[in-house]
Amino acid sequence: MMYTFKFQDQTYKIKLEEEGRQTEVEIAGTSGTDGQCTFAEKGIPLEFQKIDESFYSIIVDGRSIGAGILKKGKKVEVFVGGDLYEFESISEREREISKGVISGVQEIKSPMPSRVVKILKTNDDGVKEGEGVIVIEAMKMESELKSPIEGRVKEVKVKEGDAVESGTVLVLISSE
Amino acid sequence: MMFNKILIANRGEIAVRIIRAARDLGVKTVAVYSDIDRRSLHVTMADEAYNIGPPAPGESYLVIEKIIDVIKRSGAEAVHPGYGFLSENHTFAEMCEKEGIIFIGPSSEAIRLMGDKVTARRIAQEANVPIAPGSEGAASDVEAGVIAKRVGYPVMIKASAGGGGKGMRLVRKEEDFKSSLRMARSEARSAFGDDSVYIEKFIERPRHVEIQVIGDSYGRILHLFERECSIQRRHQKVIEEAPSPAIGDETRRKMGEVAVRIAKAVSYRGAGTVEYILDQNGNFYFLEMNTRVQVEHPVTEMITGFDIVKWMIRIAAGEKLSFSQDDLSIKGHAIECRVYAEDPEKNFLPSPGKLEYLRTPSGPGVRDDSSIYNGYEVTTFYDPMLSKLIVWGGTRQEAIKRMATALCEYIVLGVKTNIGFLRRIMENEEFIRGEIDTGFIERHPELLPPSLGEIEPALIAAALAMRNSTKEVETSKQAPASNWKLLSRKLAVSRNPLI
Repeated sequence: MMYTFKFQDQTYKIKLEEEGRQTEVEIAGTSGTDGQCTFAEKGIPLEFQKIDESFYSIIVDGRSIGAGILKKGKKVEVFVGGDLYEFESISEREREISKGVISGVQEIKSPMPSRVVKILKTNDDGVKEGEGVIVIEAMKMESELKSPIEGRVKEVKVKEGDAVESGTVLVLISSE
Repeated sequence: MMFNKILIANRGEIAVRIIRAARDLGVKTVAVYSDIDRRSLHVTMADEAYNIGPPAPGESYLVIEKIIDVIKRSGAEAVHPGYGFLSENHTFAEMCEKEGIIFIGPSSEAIRLMGDKVTARRIAQEANVPIAPGSEGAASDVEAGVIAKRVGYPVMIKASAGGGGKGMRLVRKEEDFKSSLRMARSEARSAFGDDSVYIEKFIERPRHVEIQVIGDSYGRILHLFERECSIQRRHQKVIEEAPSPAIGDETRRKMGEVAVRIAKAVSYRGAGTVEYILDQNGNFYFLEMNTRVQVEHPVTEMITGFDIVKWMIRIAAGEKLSFSQDDLSIKGHAIECRVYAEDPEKNFLPSPGKLEYLRTPSGPGVRDDSSIYNGYEVTTFYDPMLSKLIVWGGTRQEAIKRMATALCEYIVLGVKTNIGFLRRIMENEEFIRGEIDTGFIERHPELLPPSLGEIEPALIAAALAMRNSTKEVETSKQAPASNWKLLSRKLAVSRNPLI
């Protein structure tokens, strides 16, 4: 069975094959474009034990890995070696769609539940990439959210003092 | 006479730490908790617990009347304020003094004097302690701009009522001054209810080194050597260690003497910390004095064998410090990492949520001061620190290796943490050589994202998770309604080595 994951804008493919009790693993990492493999290893024997509801012991060709795993729908969180890897599992069809052109409008979203402290740009203001657009506050810390692209403010969707949830779209920036 | 019962006016790991110290002394403990903290560990660990209202600190942990009321109702003789919240509130200490409640800490007068950073600078000056050039007092917008220009950029804008890095801004260029001043004032206003600020010359590549002091009620004040806290993000400490790799015995002795001098100037009682900035030439300048137990106190405990929190309680109960400066020495090296629910890749934004899974490190020389557990909910109401991981080693190198191992043993699922980031710092050559200053994290953005070195095992684990969840769905589709049958099927499944 082939599994495809997205991690930090890169797509990784991994194949698990089961022959009786033996599982084999094959990994191909592609950086953006298909076919450009950063590493690919074939047919490595793998054995694993589920220690408890989230902790796995995996032995890949003698190498022992202890990993915490949490699956939430299409998102898989893996905690290994002190790091959390957040993968998004994608099907072949979704991969095709994601290859389409990126829309000319970028969203600035609230990264967490917070309060809008100050709006630095209004509709139709020109913005440079990395320029501050809006200031939010969470846990008494203020942070300035910056425009990911150069363009023009298309719409400010919140006002100062608003309490916003994580993921709320605050400002739309169009690339013109 | 040791107390019979004390109240802990705090929450989180420090409340747990104080409860443990009190237990060592055979003292009963009273916890207070907000509505959202009903399931917090300090509540379950204390002998008594009282609700003090809504989650927002301003409606519970910061309400002096509520705390005093619980102290009276519970019959506690003393109160330990921990750090943050009311710990440096001189009005609270004064209220306790008036009500005949013993405040485990310094006098309200010492808190008041040192709490105003401008007054503290003046006291230091009078005690012949070197301070960094800057404004004499709180400055208006116009004055601040003038002073900044006079002492020369870069400058620091700091909240007069400040602490914990809040209301603090580094300004490198004159054109950024106005906007930074606005942000600093606004942060100071919401954090301390006071937006006055002062200006200080910024010292290039400064190291943050502080001295732990402790004084009893009979005028004896000792120091417990230094801690280096140069690894900071957003002006907040993330990694602390003792001793500092940057100073020798001579500087250590001088810093200690100066710290004791400042503490004596305010007749200091209890545990306190004198903070300095150390420049690249080994000169140090007084920064401020924190009149409470410090978050990073465990590293000092690990190298001296001195239990700071327990001694705070003993001193408040009237005990004398039974030893002198010469009885104290440094043994080995200790490092503390503050484990936060935050995202290093998003400018360390807090990452609230439920801890879906938790495994904590252990082993020789490893101490995990925390108040979290499986299923614990990190809320936006309080500081997102999950735990303080502390290690001791015979040498700094051993401590670093031990910390790296301990961080690798940690597993937290459900929220983002800085664990991987901390581990990468432990493996950084500059850090290992002790070449650190407060700009370390900003200079090393490459340490922020997860290392791709572990992506392969992570991918394998992710694929196994997908595979197993598909299998579980297949199983449940055929599953009959009876729980007994379901249970036996699960048992059968778990015997299969592949599942």
